[in-house]
Amino acid sequence: MAPSTQFELPQPPTDAVSSLVFSPDSSHRLLVSSWDKHVYLYQLTEGEGDNANLLNKYEHRAPVLDVCFGDASNNEAYTAGMDRQVKKIDLTSGEQTVLSKHSEPVRCVVYSSAHNLLVSASWDNTLHVHKLSDPGSDPLVIPLPGKPHALSSSPTKLVVAMTARLVHIYDLPTLAAATSPPAPWQTRESSLKFLTRAVACMPNDAGYATSSIEGRVAVEWFEDTLESQARKYAFKCHRQAAPEEEGGGDIVYPVNALAFHPVYGTFASGGGDGTVALWDAEAKRRMRQYQKFPEAVASLGFSGDGKYLAIGVCPGFETGMEDYTGQGRTRVFVRELGETEAKGKGTK
Amino acid sequence: MGKKKRGHPDIEELLARPWCYYCERDFEDLKLLISHQKAKHFKCERCGKRLNTAGARTIANVIFIGLSVHMNQVHKENLTSVENALANRQGLDIEIFGMEGVPEDIIQQHNQRIIQNFYTAQAERQAATGNPPRGLSGGQGPTKKIKIETPEEIKKRLAEHRAKVAAQKEAIANGTPLPVVAPANGPSPSQVASPFPPPQPGFPYPAGAPAYPPVAYPPGAAPGAFGSLPARPPSGGPIPSALPQRPSYPYPGGVAPPGFPGASPVDESAANAGRAPGGDDIDQLIRMAEAGIKPAKNGDEQPAPTEKKKKGMRMVYDDTEVSPEEKMALLPRYRWVEEAAA
Repeated sequence: MAPSTQFELPQPPTDAVSSLVFSPDSSHRLLVSSWDKHVYLYQLTEGEGDNANLLNKYEHRAPVLDVCFGDASNNEAYTAGMDRQVKKIDLTSGEQTVLSKHSEPVRCVVYSSAHNLLVSASWDNTLHVHKLSDPGSDPLVIPLPGKPHALSSSPTKLVVAMTARLVHIYDLPTLAAATSPPAPWQTRESSLKFLTRAVACMPNDAGYATSSIEGRVAVEWFEDTLESQARKYAFKCHRQAAPEEEGGGDIVYPVNALAFHPVYGTFASGGGDGTVALWDAEAKRRMRQYQKFPEAVASLGFSGDGKYLAIGVCPGFETGMEDYTGQGRTRVFVRELGETEAKGKGTK
Repeated sequence: MGKKKRGHPDIEELLARPWCYYCERDFEDLKLLISHQKAKHFKCERCGKRLNTAGARTIANVIFIGLSVHMNQVHKENLTSVENALANRQGLDIEIFGMEGVPEDIIQQHNQRIIQNFYTAQAERQAATGNPPRGLSGGQGPTKKIKIETPEEIKKRLAEHRAKVAAQKEAIANGTPLPVVAPANGPSPSQVASPFPPPQPGFPYPAGAPAYPPVAYPPGAAPGAFGSLPARPPSGGPIPSALPQRPSYPYPGGVAPPGFPGASPVDESAANAGRAPGGDDIDQLIRMAEAGIKPAKNGDEQPAPTEKKKKGMRMVYDDTEVSPEEKMALLPRYRWVEEAAA
């Protein structure tokens, strides 16, 4: 690995990263939400000596659990707060608007530009669907059978992963048209035995990947035919052999982050073991595994044009921890990908 | 490595194989080695171009442009280390092309290693198979270890046999029909041939199968214990007491996993007797036969292997109900109290 292709962001968050996301266009702007109650906006600068600047940071009342870019022309972003609020942030002026309030912390936010929808998922077991074309209206509240932990959208679908291995898939056009809470388009049980950690949808609208706390990733397809369902698979990853003196076996890390490459349809996984691996979902092969990062990988994001991969690292929360802090150990790396680095063999 | 030749090459063949300086892997011929190096060590990360060497090298008056020169000229980047190389071989200071350029001392080291591995492997093979070393024709080599039956083993076989007969008698007495596979009298021929029960088809034996553990019996099976065998000693603790002594590979002594198709109940019983031929087992076994509940025994056995498996795997985060974020949200550091907002 040539070191020059990877660099670290200056002025990283002062506590654990909860989420990071690139702008969907090719402007190479990066939003990072953190447990330090701030959202950070960075701008990558191209040219000699890859670098990035902190453009702005937006203070919140409580830790921010998720962030996403909104409408590009308005330069907006949305955040999910521990303070139970879903907020819109004007990235230019820093002005914050509360869109809705949940009765428990908000875990995820997802924006769909095609349907002009913002969906938030909260530990109060509801989804709030905000119709952004009608800003004054109350959000549509959809009750969920479990606490949501991960949320992801493809061009037409929305995948919600909950406790008890529940997975609900909603059809975005139906959500956009609905006036009362619609039934899920599909309800599934996770292919993984353990608590779902992350979900990411394929950019080509064909399916999605999920990961669990038990070092495993599953790839599934939306199409509900026998052939399509027979194609789904799961595999182990982000594990390390324990030293013999500790009894051997494997140390199994949670897979905290998944992200699909917007162009090639391959995907990256990031785990508590501090590694990032690139996978070819079609060919069922690992393409690359990068050198270990100093801490657990908390979040991953590809830039809109697929040229960069951002990696948020901070200490992982482990069983039995009574005290946790990501202070001083939280960093954000950006890897500039080679032209064919994330290109799968099967997708030539 | 896709070696087609069966059997074991001799030492000259091994030493003649070209090998890669960066990762110590060896190859059938030089061509393969060079294409390996091009693909693994001299491939440009940025554009996928496969170069011939790391820096630049002149071979037979042809200058080969290397990866670092390429990176420099095409991508304006500096190469600092060779990819996929062993930790101490990542340097760019040594110019490698196929087998050319490998320092003499490294070659020596490599050869030493090959020779040593060769002889260890050879010795192991001989010990395991009892075959004489290559070139010697007679049975002059070391004798097979397996063939020797120690008194303990003979006694153990006897115990095994007794157990089986006893079980069968009980079964007949109770009118339980015998499984067809089990011959009515005595152990099967294969069990006569070897003191160890034969592997069941598809049975997960460890890879080094010839290396049967010479002493896989729990201490209770020491010769002294056998003296008192003819009469069944009163049954002490149930089976689990014998469990901790199990060797670490799965299903020791040929105890098939529950529901395993190839294993008839009686075979299993015999195998169990073979594993721990103490009176307890036999007693247990007979009681089982009396009650006609063989599968239940399997149920008893099952927890041991699964427990072992769980122990071997340690999850860094193992709460299957509550996510790490929820736990963090409860910490004083991050907790949100609604009143605080007002």
